[in-house]
Amino acid sequence: MRWLCSIALSIALSLAAASSHAHKASDAYWTVEVAGERLTQRLDIALRDLDREIAVDANEDGQLAWGEVRSRWPAIESLAAAGARVQADGRACTVTERGAPALDEHSDGRYAVMRQTLVCDGPVADLTLHYTLFAASDATHRGVVRLVRGDATHSAVLDPSAPAQRFGSDAAAPRTFFGFVGEGVHHILIGTDHILFLLALLLPAVLAVRRTPAPPASPGSALLDVLRIVTAFTVAHSITLALAVFEVISPPSRWIESVIAASVVLAALNNLRPVITRQRWVVTFAFGLVHGFGFAGALKDLGLAGGSLAAPLLGFNLGVELGQLAIVALFLPLAWALRSTVLYRRVLLQGGSVAVALVALVWLVERAFDLSLMA
Amino acid sequence: MNLVQHIVFLVLTTAAAAATAAPFTPTDDTQVVETLPRRLTGSAAPQRALRAQLQRTPGDVTLAVRAAREAIARARLEGDPRELGAAQAALAPWWNDAHAPAAVRLLRATLRQSQHDFSAALADLQALLDDRSAAPALQAQAELTRAGVLQVLGRWAEAAAGCERLAGARYATLDANVRWAAQACGAELMSLRGQADAAESRLAALARDAEPGDAAWIALIRAELAERRGDARAQAHYRTALQARADVYTLAAYADWLLAARRARDVLPLLEGRDAADALLLRQAMAYRQLGDARAAAATAALRERFAAARARGDTLHQREEALFALHLEDDAAKALALARAQWAQQKEPADALLLVQAARAAKQEAAADPVRQFMRETGYADARLGLVAQRFAAGQP
Repeated sequence: MRWLCSIALSIALSLAAASSHAHKASDAYWTVEVAGERLTQRLDIALRDLDREIAVDANEDGQLAWGEVRSRWPAIESLAAAGARVQADGRACTVTERGAPALDEHSDGRYAVMRQTLVCDGPVADLTLHYTLFAASDATHRGVVRLVRGDATHSAVLDPSAPAQRFGSDAAAPRTFFGFVGEGVHHILIGTDHILFLLALLLPAVLAVRRTPAPPASPGSALLDVLRIVTAFTVAHSITLALAVFEVISPPSRWIESVIAASVVLAALNNLRPVITRQRWVVTFAFGLVHGFGFAGALKDLGLAGGSLAAPLLGFNLGVELGQLAIVALFLPLAWALRSTVLYRRVLLQGGSVAVALVALVWLVERAFDLSLMA
Repeated sequence: MNLVQHIVFLVLTTAAAAATAAPFTPTDDTQVVETLPRRLTGSAAPQRALRAQLQRTPGDVTLAVRAAREAIARARLEGDPRELGAAQAALAPWWNDAHAPAAVRLLRATLRQSQHDFSAALADLQALLDDRSAAPALQAQAELTRAGVLQVLGRWAEAAAGCERLAGARYATLDANVRWAAQACGAELMSLRGQADAAESRLAALARDAEPGDAAWIALIRAELAERRGDARAQAHYRTALQARADVYTLAAYADWLLAARRARDVLPLLEGRDAADALLLRQAMAYRQLGDARAAAATAALRERFAAARARGDTLHQREEALFALHLEDDAAKALALARAQWAQQKEPADALLLVQAARAAKQEAAADPVRQFMRETGYADARLGLVAQRFAAGQP
């Protein structure tokens, strides 16, 4: 837009070349990396912003020499320390290492680069970033944040006038209902133990009587059997998922994970030497309760603390059920088509069950004794 | 861009990005590591002193208004949006105050307009104009600023009414400059609303009694009018305007005129050393490209990086420049058209109309320029560069 005439009034102020912004406004770039109890951070602040704030250009010649920057480095560092603070919830952290004074080039000029490493008194879960840099001198300044945690990177733009921003233990946690549905689907599809448990239960469903060799079942009875099992599993794990998320019961995760592994072993063994043939849904229900606690662990890892729980819980549970239905929908027609074949009876049912039992047995030992056998 | 150019380009931009990835520590204390923005306004020390004083007495309106006004003046001279942030910081105690003092309101409106928050700017200006206790001088400025905002929004009839009020009885006791400004304001709107000949003779008369600072403004209006009429005298007017003040807006407008005339060779010396401004680096890159100069790649990469940095902070103030970039340097007509449409939805300046028409043509979607045609029918606007309708420069004449 154009500048409009400045009438020679005392205020002599015009529509200042407003949109021919020469360039973007002021930003600082702040990267925080979290790895266990160690925080590594880097803050880049534009040299021209520093000069405006704390007079870096000592000889006022409009040029910043490296010597001028270097001699103001302690002041620059204390400005940065006051303006950008990272707080690890419930942890005391101390600076163990400071990078040497350095510069970097950004799209709009040179920036001072401050690097430091902090070590906290335990693994860092939640983080709060306090940002007030230049709050009093430039209202359009922003802190462009990158929070790196393992493979996940979270970006945010911090406004110094709304300074504190909290980042949950998984900064990439979904924030919408459908985000949680997606997480639920994802969790069941990558949750090999849940899938194997379900498959071990479903493998014999297309056969009439649980003894070897069993004749093919009628379509109606097979479908009914599948329906009973899936319903029992769903109802059971929904109950415990809710109980755990609302923190009514929170059993230790090591025991839960071990019992989940045991449930897979037993379900597979039951296919090889049927002990429970009638009312398998009762046993499914019992183990389903344990799997629910496992789902709750995954949901909590997404960082729910504090916020509303109902929507994430509903979304996640719905996602788990959708994922489970997808597995059933894929499995059932195949099993139905193959149910009379030797392949199904010998290789898939017998061999598959043996394989599942073995894998789950390894998990059981690993989880119960905190070992790593299949690293 | 063909495939080979694409690959070369990708390699170059990737190399440019990688080159900036590592911090470095200079070894020589005398090495110059940064050139501060042109200090047309002198040393930064008085600004720091004023800010410190303001922080001690944050509720001092007189001091805050002085600090904000000085910062806005620097923003105009140096083209640095940081100064607008400084002005806003000075006004912080009243930023969300519905009953802010009149002087604060005027400055706040100017800042909100610069952030493209046009409706908030207009609301502030209207409140100031409705406040009968406000000083007429402040109201005169508010009237002029409001006409400027309305002009940017394409609400030209309302803007013209504001210029007329400025020439009216309420402000008759003020300085003669107010009457001059009212006439210039009205003449510019005539030049846009299909009364080109009448506007030009008025502008010529105004140029004769203009103070040197204001002469630049009139010269710029005349240059733009001549450009829209396809009149080569645009060049002389642009030069007159630039002699008085070589600001970003005027430089970019003249560079565009030269580029349209395929005179890229003249653009390079004009913009020498002014590449800190995105709008001017963009014209430099366009000139390099027109000349087939290899420096086009580096300039394009630098621009892409700057737009990415602006987006990273959530900034959408660069839509017009980004659209021009997509159209002329990235050869991405679809992206240019999307940006041009979004820009037209916000602002309706001649540059925005030209952009939308050119982007629509490049994207082979002539109908996308229909909003411009409609606007021309409604306002009488005409521009030879658009090649849209039969020329109607005589529309304002009998």
